[in-house]
Amino acid sequence: MGLAGMALLIAVAFTACNKKDDNGTTDNFDRKALLTNYADNYVTPAYQEMVAKMNTLKQDAAAFTAAPDEPKLLALQNSWKDAYLTWQKVELLEFGPAENVSLRMYINIYPVSETKVNNNIASGSYDLDAFGNKDAQGFPALDLLINGTGATAADIVSYYNTGSLATNRKNYLMAVVNKMTDMITGVQSAWAGYKDAFVESTGVSANSSLSQLVNSYVLYYERYLRSGKIGLPVGAMAGTPSPGLTEANYSPALSKDLAVAAMKAVRQFYEGMSYDGTNNGVGMRDYLAAIGTKDEQGKLMSDVVAAEMDEATTALEGLNGTIKDAVTNNRPAVLSVYDQLQNVVPLLKVDMVSAFGISITYVDNDGD
Amino acid sequence: MKLTTPHILSKQYLQEAVPGASLAFFRIVFGLMIFGGILRFWLKGWIDQLYIQPKFFFHYYGFEWVQPMGQYTYLLFAVCGISALFFALGWFYRVASVVLFLSFTYIELMDKTNYLNHYYFVTLVLFLMMWLPAHVNMSIDALRDKSSAKRLIPRWTVGSIRLMLGIVYLYAGLAKLNSDWLLQAMPLKLWLPARNDMPVIGWLFNYEWTAYAFSWFGAVYDLTIAFLLLNSRTRLYAYGAVIAFHVMTSLLFPIGMFPYIMILSTLIFFDGAAIERVISKIKRLLGVLPAVVNNNVYTFRAGFRKPLAVMFVVFFLVQAIVPWRHAFTKGELFWTEEGYRFSWRVMLMEKMGYAQFVVKDKITGKEIGINNNDYLTKNQEKMMATQPDFILQYAHFLRDQFKAQGIAEPEVYATIYVTLNGRRSRLYVDETRDLAKEYDSFKHKSWMKDFQDDIYGL
Repeated sequence: MGLAGMALLIAVAFTACNKKDDNGTTDNFDRKALLTNYADNYVTPAYQEMVAKMNTLKQDAAAFTAAPDEPKLLALQNSWKDAYLTWQKVELLEFGPAENVSLRMYINIYPVSETKVNNNIASGSYDLDAFGNKDAQGFPALDLLINGTGATAADIVSYYNTGSLATNRKNYLMAVVNKMTDMITGVQSAWAGYKDAFVESTGVSANSSLSQLVNSYVLYYERYLRSGKIGLPVGAMAGTPSPGLTEANYSPALSKDLAVAAMKAVRQFYEGMSYDGTNNGVGMRDYLAAIGTKDEQGKLMSDVVAAEMDEATTALEGLNGTIKDAVTNNRPAVLSVYDQLQNVVPLLKVDMVSAFGISITYVDNDGD
Repeated sequence: MKLTTPHILSKQYLQEAVPGASLAFFRIVFGLMIFGGILRFWLKGWIDQLYIQPKFFFHYYGFEWVQPMGQYTYLLFAVCGISALFFALGWFYRVASVVLFLSFTYIELMDKTNYLNHYYFVTLVLFLMMWLPAHVNMSIDALRDKSSAKRLIPRWTVGSIRLMLGIVYLYAGLAKLNSDWLLQAMPLKLWLPARNDMPVIGWLFNYEWTAYAFSWFGAVYDLTIAFLLLNSRTRLYAYGAVIAFHVMTSLLFPIGMFPYIMILSTLIFFDGAAIERVISKIKRLLGVLPAVVNNNVYTFRAGFRKPLAVMFVVFFLVQAIVPWRHAFTKGELFWTEEGYRFSWRVMLMEKMGYAQFVVKDKITGKEIGINNNDYLTKNQEKMMATQPDFILQYAHFLRDQFKAQGIAEPEVYATIYVTLNGRRSRLYVDETRDLAKEYDSFKHKSWMKDFQDDIYGL
């Protein structure tokens, strides 16, 4: 009869005599439903909005470079800010088509290298596809170009209107915007062709959709949110702050908004909420709840993770002043925010991943 | 007429001549399987990935001198694979079996990251096989030298391989008699839902009781299967269960060669005469297995018998005792893993860790956060984060690394969170202890944090 036969027999016996136990919790084990929810209700609208924001940014950049003046600069700065805030809800999606083209590398690697940007502008010939140019483009390079090239709006406008390099500067600004728009639009259209395969890959191996999604999510949280936005600027590891490493270095007032937007996106994504935040679908939290691991007080681990994330969000929101200033002048407060963010890391990386039966590894080897 | 049935541990019973076909057949199957395993390892690029790429290797206590050999590691695997073929063919068997045992064991000792119970099992069986007359039947050696061809061999020689398998199963079963496995259905409760997209039976894994059924069935299977295989009346059914059980585990879990090793190895339980009958049928069809038909009995050289007997008795005593050694250390075995390896504890834990190391310059007070991937492969990092002896070796490696870079007195601190069988992760080692100053031993590691929960059982 064997094990399979035995199991089947027990199953028949069980379903025959125990029909009342059908309370629907098994739906949350449905990885296809989870993947479908993420693909349809988060990923698709996220790229849709991101592309729309990029198109606006591109229009404003084109208008500004055609005839630079202060009102057009202001419009460009606003659409840049708007697109950057939207990007905070998209950056955590670095799996599938986005991972294939290393989207994040082209969109948000900071600090921007002023030297590379200036050299590119001076020479007028550059290849933005080149890996070496990853820190000379994206939102951080735009931040430098439209916020950091002068002390006042008038100074920035004159940066594009005067001198022998004015044309090169305008060209570079447009090249960066075009490159970003092309990359993001490319990923959006690639998703349309990838979605079915994504939803059908319901396993838990290293190549499965769940593993890719969770791995990229945890990696993003640990390396780009916790470390990138707070840990590195405050020098949590190094021991000394480096304010120059702050995201949106030339627009210090924006850094905290970006970090809070990213944290809220992480929380929302964990929950399985739709992109616009109106609907709650099957997400990691539901899947973890279905598995049912609990802490020593009997509290569901899925709730523990949510609560820790909420605490970290509150701590981050409560930070006074700009991050760039606080890492030096209010260091203990920023370090305490970092600790709150750090508390979530083991919960995601160890507790959740372990319960999901996937692993944080790309080495495909035997176990026992 | 037989007056008394000899006791199964009596000299008379153990030395009785029995058909050696089952041991010879086992030799062929086992040798080919190792050859296949080496080939698989090679083709998957694992030699490079596991033994050439890493910058650092985790050594077994006392075997620090066993090192991978750069590109020559391929040569080592080639030697191992070729000797496995010679072993299977029974061609220069004594030399082949010694070379195979040494090369396979060397491979296993190079990095304990890659420890698997079934590799350890292969090592032990290869050790036994070096001394056994597995080449006097169905072998090229027996064809080349007709005087060495013997149909009959002492019973204990076949019996020792059966005993080895019996120990593996029985201890694997005993290890399952713990509260996590039986009362919480852990870790199957985590692993089975992950496979609920399997065809036909996948839906079963959405139910908690399936995990319980599998846990209890697995424990009963492991505890009883060796006895059912020994009994001639239940043997055929038991072998059916062996196939079903291991095929099932291979479908459910990423455990590589293990299921096939067990399915093929348990063929040793079949009676030599039965193997001969089957072979005689296949031989008519294929004519490839040169089964010996004389009635000569293999005998060990006179001066060799006693030392061999002593060695085998000691070997099995050690095998019987080693899995219990955790009883002599304090702390929860699953948490400390002091005495976990070499004990046939298979698939008992879902354990995962997250380790962050900091190297501190004692003189300047400057701290450096370590990115483990600068030194370890993903797989090494994963194994390191849940096992204290790995953690300590790695800490010492970091200490030496930074000493070489000019930090006179590097201190090494680790923040490690570990989850075990679905429990909430907690700190694994004392964050305030300088691991650069701690030393490995077989004693309890006082720098570890307590488990603060209980797992009852063996």
